[in-house]
Amino acid sequence: MKKGMIVDDAAVMRMRLRDILSTRFSIVAEAENGKQAIEEYQKYNPDFVTMDISMAEMNGMEALKGLIHDFPDANIVMVSAVGQKALVFEALNNGAKDFIIKPFEAERVLMAIDRLFE
Amino acid sequence: MKAEYANPFIQAAVKTFKKELDVQLNRNSLVVKNSPLPSKELSIIIGVTGAVRGQVVYSMDDNVAMSVAKTMIPGRLPVELKKLKNSAVSELANIITGQASIILAGDNSKIDITPPAVFGGAAAVIDFLSLQTISLSFLSEIGSFEVNIALTEENV
Repeated sequence: MKKGMIVDDAAVMRMRLRDILSTRFSIVAEAENGKQAIEEYQKYNPDFVTMDISMAEMNGMEALKGLIHDFPDANIVMVSAVGQKALVFEALNNGAKDFIIKPFEAERVLMAIDRLFE
Repeated sequence: MKAEYANPFIQAAVKTFKKELDVQLNRNSLVVKNSPLPSKELSIIIGVTGAVRGQVVYSMDDNVAMSVAKTMIPGRLPVELKKLKNSAVSELANIITGQASIILAGDNSKIDITPPAVFGGAAAVIDFLSLQTISLSFLSEIGSFEVNIALTEENV
């Protein structure tokens, strides 16, 4: 079973994503900001990450850039309410594999993660 | 303060309530006031920077916040929901602001939003800056909801 990490500053969003993803994947870590995400990634080496953008301490865009710099093969899917075109392009240009805009359907999240491993 | 800032928030709030909560949000009133001071028990402040900047203050009563939490994370015990209530309303406000920012940013601009800050209860006293504000109020089956928009363009 593939291992995932959920990064979001909102506890309710981490719970919802865990409820959705744990039907098919093993969620090995959660983080509530970008800095914690990098630390947890190094510790658990997950197969995929869902990454929020608007977070305190270090935002998700900075964390994406940091993770891709250190782990170029990291599978990172952005999950954010701030889905402006400029931000979507910035994320994809910096190595994000997909960009899910909140509010989302469970199927959209599962499809994005499934596609990483096809 | 441009009146056209109201529409993206109206669209975003109605869409988010429908998608996240399956609740129909209906417009009640739109007034212009001198600060984003909220009128209900619990409020969420989100800062906006970039092509437009300022703040948006969402406000609702505590029972509405409990209904939001109950719907966003179903199957949890009441004691757990009480703990997660602020997180639920923060996320709801974050999604509405994010959706509105997509419309406001258009194809070429960039707008950043800050993580939400929640405050409420009798002890909460916050001085809001004097900023021209559009205050939207909505009605729904779970109660009323207020959005105070105090935004200006970057170069103003």
